[in-house]
Amino acid sequence: MSSELELCVASELRNLAAIADFVSEAAARAGLDDTQVFEVQMAADEACTNSMEHAYEGREDGRVQVCCFVEDNVFVVRVTDFGKPFEPETVPVPDITLPLEDRSVGGLGLFLMRRLVDEVQFSRDSTGGNQVTLRKRRRMGHT
Amino acid sequence: MEIKTTQLRRCDLIALSGRFDSSAAPALDQALRASLDRGMFHIVVDMSGVEYFGSAAIRALVIAFKECRRWNRGDVRLAALPEKIRQVFDIAGITPLIKLYDDTVTAVGNF
Repeated sequence: MSSELELCVASELRNLAAIADFVSEAAARAGLDDTQVFEVQMAADEACTNSMEHAYEGREDGRVQVCCFVEDNVFVVRVTDFGKPFEPETVPVPDITLPLEDRSVGGLGLFLMRRLVDEVQFSRDSTGGNQVTLRKRRRMGHT
Repeated sequence: MEIKTTQLRRCDLIALSGRFDSSAAPALDQALRASLDRGMFHIVVDMSGVEYFGSAAIRALVIAFKECRRWNRGDVRLAALPEKIRQVFDIAGITPLIKLYDDTVTAVGNF
Protein backbone atom coordinates (compact mmCIF):
# COMPACT_ATOMS: atom_id res chain seq x y z
CA MET A 1 0.00 0.00 0.00
CA SER A 2 1.72 3.18 -1.12
CA SER A 3 -0.96 5.81 -0.61
CA GLU A 4 -3.02 7.05 2.25
CA LEU A 5 -6.57 5.76 2.76
CA GLU A 6 -9.09 7.91 4.54
CA LEU A 7 -12.56 7.39 5.97
CA CYS A 8 -14.65 10.16 7.48
CA VAL A 9 -17.80 9.27 9.42
CA ALA A 10 -20.30 10.91 11.78
CA SER A 11 -19.66 10.35 15.49
CA GLU A 12 -22.32 7.66 15.82
CA LEU A 13 -21.40 4.43 17.57
CA ARG A 14 -23.12 2.42 14.85
CA ASN A 15 -20.35 3.57 12.46
CA LEU A 16 -17.76 1.61 14.46
CA ALA A 17 -18.41 -1.50 12.35
CA ALA A 18 -17.62 0.39 9.11
CA ILE A 19 -14.45 1.76 10.71
CA ALA A 20 -13.41 -1.76 11.75
CA ASP A 21 -13.92 -3.04 8.19
CA PHE A 22 -11.99 -0.11 6.75
CA VAL A 23 -9.00 -0.50 9.11
CA SER A 24 -8.96 -4.31 8.75
CA GLU A 25 -8.88 -4.08 4.98
CA ALA A 26 -6.15 -1.43 4.94
CA ALA A 27 -4.06 -3.43 7.45
CA ALA A 28 -4.43 -6.65 5.44
CA ARG A 29 -3.45 -4.81 2.25
CA ALA A 30 -0.42 -3.43 4.07
CA GLY A 31 0.69 -7.00 4.73
CA LEU A 32 -0.14 -7.44 8.40
CA ASP A 33 -1.00 -11.00 9.42
CA ASP A 34 -4.44 -11.97 10.73
CA THR A 35 -3.53 -11.53 14.39
CA GLN A 36 -2.01 -8.12 13.76
CA VAL A 37 -5.03 -7.07 11.69
CA PHE A 38 -7.31 -8.01 14.59
CA GLU A 39 -5.14 -6.15 17.11
CA VAL A 40 -4.83 -2.95 15.12
CA GLN A 41 -8.57 -2.82 14.28
CA MET A 42 -9.34 -3.32 17.97
CA ALA A 43 -7.01 -0.46 18.96
CA ALA A 44 -8.65 1.73 16.29
CA ASP A 45 -12.12 0.73 17.54
CA GLU A 46 -11.22 1.78 21.08
CA ALA A 47 -9.70 5.07 19.84
CA CYS A 48 -12.85 5.91 17.82
CA THR A 49 -15.08 4.91 20.74
CA ASN A 50 -13.15 7.40 22.90
CA SER A 51 -13.70 10.13 20.30
CA MET A 52 -17.42 9.46 20.10
CA GLU A 53 -18.13 8.91 23.78
CA HIS A 54 -15.68 11.33 25.39
CA ALA A 55 -14.51 14.00 22.91
CA TYR A 56 -18.05 14.41 21.49
CA GLU A 57 -19.69 13.27 24.75
CA GLY A 58 -22.14 11.10 22.84
CA ARG A 59 -23.15 13.82 20.35
CA GLU A 60 -23.70 12.24 16.94
CA ASP A 61 -23.08 15.29 14.73
CA GLY A 62 -19.30 15.32 15.10
CA ARG A 63 -16.78 14.08 12.57
CA VAL A 64 -14.34 11.23 13.08
CA GLN A 65 -11.57 10.87 10.52
CA VAL A 66 -9.63 7.66 10.20
CA CYS A 67 -6.52 7.65 8.09
CA CYS A 68 -4.35 4.60 7.31
CA PHE A 69 -0.90 4.55 5.72
CA VAL A 70 2.44 2.79 5.84
CA GLU A 71 5.58 4.53 7.05
CA ASP A 72 8.81 2.57 6.65
CA ASN A 73 7.78 -0.84 7.96
CA VAL A 74 5.04 0.44 10.20
CA PHE A 75 1.28 0.46 9.62
CA VAL A 76 -0.16 3.70 10.94
CA VAL A 77 -3.77 4.53 11.86
CA ARG A 78 -4.52 8.13 12.71
CA VAL A 79 -7.86 8.99 14.29
CA THR A 80 -8.87 12.66 14.38
CA ASP A 81 -11.88 14.25 16.04
CA PHE A 82 -12.86 17.85 16.70
CA GLY A 83 -14.45 17.40 20.11
CA LYS A 84 -13.26 18.55 23.49
CA PRO A 85 -9.56 18.06 24.21
CA PHE A 86 -8.64 14.59 25.34
CA GLU A 87 -6.19 14.30 28.22
CA PRO A 88 -4.95 10.71 28.39
CA GLU A 89 -3.06 11.39 31.63
CA THR A 90 -6.40 11.92 33.42
CA VAL A 91 -7.64 8.42 32.53
CA PRO A 92 -7.09 5.93 35.38
CA VAL A 93 -4.92 2.93 34.56
CA PRO A 94 -6.81 -0.23 35.55
CA ASP A 95 -5.08 -2.57 37.98
CA ILE A 96 -5.48 -5.92 36.25
CA THR A 97 -4.00 -7.81 39.22
CA LEU A 98 -7.00 -7.05 41.44
CA PRO A 99 -9.68 -9.65 42.06
CA LEU A 100 -12.73 -9.19 39.84
CA GLU A 101 -14.84 -7.89 42.71
CA ASP A 102 -12.45 -4.96 43.22
CA ARG A 103 -11.91 -4.04 39.59
CA SER A 104 -12.88 -0.57 38.53
CA VAL A 105 -14.53 -0.56 35.12
CA GLY A 106 -12.93 2.57 33.64
CA GLY A 107 -9.79 3.08 31.59
CA LEU A 108 -9.83 -0.34 29.98
CA GLY A 109 -10.12 0.95 26.40
CA LEU A 110 -6.97 3.05 26.64
CA PHE A 111 -5.15 0.24 28.44
CA LEU A 112 -6.03 -2.23 25.68
CA MET A 113 -5.00 0.23 22.95
CA ARG A 114 -1.54 0.57 24.47
CA ARG A 115 -1.14 -3.19 24.66
CA LEU A 116 -2.43 -3.98 21.17
CA VAL A 117 -0.14 -1.75 19.11
CA ASP A 118 3.53 -0.80 19.37
CA GLU A 119 2.96 2.90 19.91
CA VAL A 120 0.06 5.17 20.85
CA GLN A 121 0.56 8.90 20.52
CA PHE A 122 -1.87 11.69 21.47
CA SER A 123 -1.69 15.20 20.06
CA ARG A 124 -3.73 18.28 19.16
CA ASP A 125 -3.47 19.12 15.46
CA SER A 126 -3.21 22.66 14.03
CA THR A 127 -6.96 22.89 13.40
CA GLY A 128 -7.74 22.10 17.02
CA GLY A 129 -8.58 18.44 16.61
CA ASN A 130 -7.59 15.53 18.84
CA GLN A 131 -5.28 13.11 17.10
CA VAL A 132 -4.51 9.59 18.18
CA THR A 133 -1.79 7.89 16.18
CA LEU A 134 -1.48 4.11 16.43
CA ARG A 135 1.64 2.41 15.07
CA LYS A 136 1.91 -1.30 14.42
CA ARG A 137 5.17 -2.75 13.13
CA ARG A 138 4.78 -5.25 10.30
CA ARG A 139 5.92 -8.73 11.25
CA MET A 140 8.15 -10.14 8.55
CA GLY A 141 8.17 -13.73 7.34
CA HIS A 142 6.42 -16.51 9.22
CA THR A 143 4.81 -15.86 12.57
CA MET B 1 -24.82 -8.74 16.58
CA GLU B 2 -27.30 -11.16 18.09
CA ILE B 3 -28.21 -12.06 21.66
CA LYS B 4 -30.46 -14.96 22.56
CA THR B 5 -31.40 -15.87 26.11
CA THR B 6 -32.71 -19.34 26.92
CA GLN B 7 -34.03 -20.01 30.40
CA LEU B 8 -32.90 -23.43 31.56
CA ARG B 9 -33.73 -25.14 34.83
CA ARG B 10 -30.41 -24.40 36.52
CA CYS B 11 -29.28 -21.28 34.72
CA ASP B 12 -29.81 -18.82 31.91
CA LEU B 13 -27.93 -19.48 28.71
CA ILE B 14 -27.11 -16.32 26.79
CA ALA B 15 -25.79 -16.98 23.29
CA LEU B 16 -23.87 -14.16 21.64
CA SER B 17 -22.88 -13.85 18.03
CA GLY B 18 -21.30 -11.18 15.89
CA ARG B 19 -19.58 -7.97 16.79
CA PHE B 20 -19.75 -6.50 20.30
CA ASP B 21 -18.30 -3.02 20.06
CA SER B 22 -19.51 0.01 22.04
CA SER B 23 -22.69 0.24 19.99
CA ALA B 24 -23.65 -3.33 20.97
CA ALA B 25 -22.54 -3.23 24.61
CA PRO B 26 -25.77 -1.65 25.95
CA ALA B 27 -27.80 -4.56 24.50
CA LEU B 28 -25.46 -7.03 26.19
CA ASP B 29 -25.76 -5.14 29.45
CA GLN B 30 -29.56 -5.25 29.13
CA ALA B 31 -29.64 -8.98 28.43
CA LEU B 32 -27.47 -9.74 31.46
CA ARG B 33 -29.50 -7.37 33.62
CA ALA B 34 -32.74 -9.04 32.53
CA SER B 35 -31.49 -12.33 34.01
CA LEU B 36 -30.32 -10.64 37.22
CA ASP B 37 -33.62 -8.77 37.57
CA ARG B 38 -35.47 -12.11 37.46
CA GLY B 39 -33.28 -13.27 40.32
CA MET B 40 -31.24 -15.59 38.12
CA PHE B 41 -27.60 -15.36 39.16
CA HIS B 42 -26.36 -18.48 37.38
CA ILE B 43 -25.55 -17.48 33.83
CA VAL B 44 -23.68 -19.23 31.03
CA VAL B 45 -22.60 -17.02 28.13
CA ASP B 46 -22.04 -18.91 24.89
CA MET B 47 -19.24 -16.97 23.21
CA SER B 48 -18.79 -19.30 20.23
CA GLY B 49 -20.24 -16.89 17.66
CA VAL B 50 -18.45 -13.77 18.91
CA GLU B 51 -16.27 -12.05 16.31
CA TYR B 52 -15.27 -9.05 18.35
CA PHE B 53 -15.55 -8.02 22.01
CA GLY B 54 -14.46 -4.48 22.88
CA SER B 55 -13.79 -2.83 26.24
CA ALA B 56 -17.41 -1.70 26.66
CA ALA B 57 -18.63 -5.30 26.27
CA ILE B 58 -15.95 -6.48 28.70
CA ARG B 59 -17.20 -3.88 31.17
CA ALA B 60 -20.78 -5.14 30.84
CA LEU B 61 -19.56 -8.67 31.54
CA VAL B 62 -17.43 -7.63 34.55
CA ILE B 63 -20.42 -5.82 36.07
CA ALA B 64 -22.51 -8.99 35.70
CA PHE B 65 -19.71 -11.10 37.25
CA LYS B 66 -19.64 -8.83 40.26
CA GLU B 67 -23.44 -8.86 40.62
CA CYS B 68 -23.69 -12.63 40.38
CA ARG B 69 -20.84 -13.36 42.76
CA ARG B 70 -22.11 -11.03 45.45
CA TRP B 71 -22.95 -13.02 48.60
CA ASN B 72 -21.81 -16.14 46.76
CA ARG B 73 -25.19 -16.32 45.10
CA GLY B 74 -23.99 -17.36 41.66
CA ASP B 75 -21.57 -16.87 38.80
CA VAL B 76 -21.25 -16.05 35.11
CA ARG B 77 -19.42 -18.74 33.18
CA LEU B 78 -18.18 -18.54 29.62
CA ALA B 79 -18.40 -21.32 27.06
CA ALA B 80 -16.51 -21.72 23.77
CA LEU B 81 -14.46 -18.55 23.96
CA PRO B 82 -12.82 -17.98 20.54
CA GLU B 83 -9.02 -17.82 20.70
CA LYS B 84 -8.64 -14.21 19.56
CA ILE B 85 -11.21 -13.03 22.11
CA ARG B 86 -9.42 -15.06 24.75
CA GLN B 87 -6.22 -13.20 23.96
CA VAL B 88 -8.00 -9.91 24.61
CA PHE B 89 -9.27 -11.28 27.94
CA ASP B 90 -5.68 -12.32 28.74
CA ILE B 91 -4.44 -8.78 28.11
CA ALA B 92 -7.25 -7.36 30.24
CA GLY B 93 -6.26 -9.78 33.02
CA ILE B 94 -9.68 -11.38 33.18
CA THR B 95 -8.96 -14.97 32.11
CA PRO B 96 -7.59 -16.17 35.49
CA LEU B 97 -10.67 -14.85 37.29
CA ILE B 98 -13.40 -16.56 35.31
CA LYS B 99 -14.49 -20.11 34.67
CA LEU B 100 -14.16 -21.09 31.04
CA TYR B 101 -15.65 -24.21 29.48
CA ASP B 102 -15.07 -25.76 26.08
CA ASP B 103 -18.77 -25.96 25.30
CA THR B 104 -22.16 -24.90 26.65
CA VAL B 105 -23.22 -28.41 27.69
CA THR B 106 -20.27 -28.72 30.07
CA ALA B 107 -20.72 -25.15 31.34
CA VAL B 108 -24.42 -25.66 32.06
CA GLY B 109 -23.79 -29.12 33.57
CA ASN B 110 -21.28 -27.68 36.04
CA PHE B 111 -23.78 -25.40 37.73
